[in-house]
Amino acid sequence: MKLPALTLLLLTTALIAQDQTTVYKGARVWPGGGAPIDNAVLVIAHGKVLQLGGPDTQVPDDAVIIDVSGKSITPGLIDAAWNGLAPSDQNEQGSESTPALHALDSVDARSNGFLKARRMGVTAVHVMPGTMNVIGGLSAVVKTFALDPTAMVVRDEAALRIALGAEPSSGNRAIRGGSVDSIYYRRPTTRMGVIWEVRRGFYDAQDYLTQTIEGGKPQPNRDLDVLGRVLQGKLAIITTARSEQDLRTALRLGREFGYTPVIDEAQEAHFVIDELAAAKVWVMCSAPSADRLAGSAGQDGAEPRFSTLPALAEKGIPFVITTGTNPLALDLVREATFAVRFGIPAEKALDAITSDAATLLGVADRIGKLATGKDADLVIWSAEPFDPASQPLFVIIDGNQAPTSR
Amino acid sequence: MNSSLIHSVASVALLALPLCAQDVLAVKGGKVITMTGAVIDDATVLIENGRILKLGKSADIEVPWTAKVIDATGKTVLPTYVLAHTTGGVRGMNEQMQNVPWISIADALDPANTFFEDCLRNGVGTVHAIPGNQTLLGGSGMVVRPFGRTVEDMAVATSSGLKISLFAQGGGRLQQIRKLHRSLDDVREYLVDFERRKAEFEKEKKAGAIASDKEWTEEYDRQKKPVIDLLQKKIKGWLFVPSAAEVPEAIRLTKELNLVLVLGPNMHKAIDELKALNVPVVLDETIEYFEVDPETQVEQKIATPSLFAAAGIPFALSIGIGGASGYPWWQLATCVRNGVDRQAALKALTTVPAQLLSLDDQLGSLAEGKLGNLQILTGDPLLATTWVETVVLEGMVVYERAKDQRLKYLFAEPKPQGDATTLKEPKDKAEPKDKAEPKDKAEPKDKAEKAPQGGKTGAPAKEGK
Repeated sequence: MKLPALTLLLLTTALIAQDQTTVYKGARVWPGGGAPIDNAVLVIAHGKVLQLGGPDTQVPDDAVIIDVSGKSITPGLIDAAWNGLAPSDQNEQGSESTPALHALDSVDARSNGFLKARRMGVTAVHVMPGTMNVIGGLSAVVKTFALDPTAMVVRDEAALRIALGAEPSSGNRAIRGGSVDSIYYRRPTTRMGVIWEVRRGFYDAQDYLTQTIEGGKPQPNRDLDVLGRVLQGKLAIITTARSEQDLRTALRLGREFGYTPVIDEAQEAHFVIDELAAAKVWVMCSAPSADRLAGSAGQDGAEPRFSTLPALAEKGIPFVITTGTNPLALDLVREATFAVRFGIPAEKALDAITSDAATLLGVADRIGKLATGKDADLVIWSAEPFDPASQPLFVIIDGNQAPTSR
Repeated sequence: MNSSLIHSVASVALLALPLCAQDVLAVKGGKVITMTGAVIDDATVLIENGRILKLGKSADIEVPWTAKVIDATGKTVLPTYVLAHTTGGVRGMNEQMQNVPWISIADALDPANTFFEDCLRNGVGTVHAIPGNQTLLGGSGMVVRPFGRTVEDMAVATSSGLKISLFAQGGGRLQQIRKLHRSLDDVREYLVDFERRKAEFEKEKKAGAIASDKEWTEEYDRQKKPVIDLLQKKIKGWLFVPSAAEVPEAIRLTKELNLVLVLGPNMHKAIDELKALNVPVVLDETIEYFEVDPETQVEQKIATPSLFAAAGIPFALSIGIGGASGYPWWQLATCVRNGVDRQAALKALTTVPAQLLSLDDQLGSLAEGKLGNLQILTGDPLLATTWVETVVLEGMVVYERAKDQRLKYLFAEPKPQGDATTLKEPKDKAEPKDKAEPKDKAEPKDKAEKAPQGGKTGAPAKEGK
């Protein structure tokens, strides 16, 4: 029996639910990592994408058909550097180097941050420890909604974050007569000290690994274990660096210890474009909208420019677009809109917040694209996603309509 | 609109730019959004002596051979935007003393401020600059074009009215209101006393106590004059209303003064009162926000323009300084995605602010006889991918994207500064050194000696965690 097509206006929460085979018909679908399909047929069942095709795609008999003509559908957006959780919970002040910390432990499923993110079409975020520590800890990829909060986790231990520049040493004080062990006298206090903390960590990890290999039973050390996995190429390392100086340092440290970093923030990437290309790194560009003429939002003395993203694209350096640490960042889709304004083709800008972000975070098997077998995470937009007058009408995560208010 | 608001126009001096005096400019082939008339495809705008001489289908308009022609084929032509109220481009927008009606924004305008450059880049052609909100009776504003080396060059209308603010400072909301009434009453009392003394003078003159050739020469106190003009409705007051709570008082004040209401961001709770008042208002630059219920944490999205549009209240949009709200296309699109009609949104940056400034017969729309103020856009004014290509003010080209040095800089391929490493090692030599490094790692002995030393100081802290 074929059910009659429903218009979007008739859509109720109950209709968009996992147990029902649902067909979205007539929209322009941007699949992520490919060209948009006009007048598409998108079939969703049991929280997964069953099929995506042109207007002639066959529709299962028992499906609820929803007419979404004139609308746009994209995969759920992925923010690869998201700072939507309580800042006080992101920076562990106990030590400047905390490799074994799990950012996942700071995730509160009921946080307003998730609500804010998914309301604007973000269905998965990459949660990293904050940038006040040199070696911050392990990140995680989580969805912004699940019926069961534990099911929000897509991937724990996605990467290790380290932060360079002035931020990890900001607020630290030199020891003047106090106890060396006091957390109130945290070191380091300079860039030199920050970089040394990184080096010391990796030197220790090298020793730790050597001991393991050469037989003697090493004292288990979770921190060195994490750093060791980076050195063995088993764990991705994200290095937050903004200014040219810090970007060069990030690449230098990678060369020194034989790993390929993912560069985060990278506001002055345009200064080191050849070096980034040669090092074959991924770049996570934060808040392109902040590249304003007046009142630059550059941190660490970095000077953002409109040419940063186009330069990365031109050199074929893989990049994603994020909201990052900039407190003035707009919603992720709007940040990508600014990328389009500065010359990035719309399709590529969308990839930078969907399929490419999923690839970078190692979760492309589940999310980032609308293709058979992937999670049914999608956004129905009122118009083209990068039209500033458009907004999400429905945000669907694992086939369920995600609530956009408490 | 209240016809007495037009008063201030009498004192408005529209200065002709000397550069445009004899030139004829033709903007040819564009899609012209006139604002007051229909949208005309393939239109030509002919500007002579700073004013629009002819506007219509290109086929119907003969362009004189002497004219400078700008080809706008495939582009969109729009009147330049009008900002109804801003403190941008000003050095020191708030005088420390609160009751300073005698000061003028003309003395604080900084023509070199990048705000004005940004205005042109964004298609803004008329700016109402006025003292800031942290004041009581804050001084006079003026209307300027964002182009020129001096304040005189920039002047469009030299006095636009008086800034008044209900923004509570050094005391509560009620105290601010009381202070305002006290200040106005002081001037009223002064006026009564002035008239009494003048009448007495005339009476005594009539009685012969004063020589018949003597005239009353005393003039109004210079420092009180702007408030007298305000009380006598000769000038407008631009009343800043920080929140919905001050709206009832603002409405009371509109009964006795000629006021334009400049609204703060949280106005949704006063929409009914403002609807009853039914005059155009100036909206805050923040036009989309969430209100959180303190108890339930439930958030409600508020988009002020859609509330005002639904209530039928005409509004002018403000432009932020920095951030996305600094872009007119963003502000316009924010209106439209919240349900405001496209044309109503465009009016909020053109005809409505022009009307509030009593300059709607001069600017804010494109029509024969009006000032030749227009912008040529690469595409639709509401899209992020659209750029302002050319700005024409009173027939003179004042901005061209192709010559915008700052834009060029931001889009240019930058030259690396270099750092210590690159200065020391030329690139070709750096390569083998990189390859040598893994060897170092293969010899842990050397580093093993160093690392524990570094590690020891860090070790206690780590174990202590």
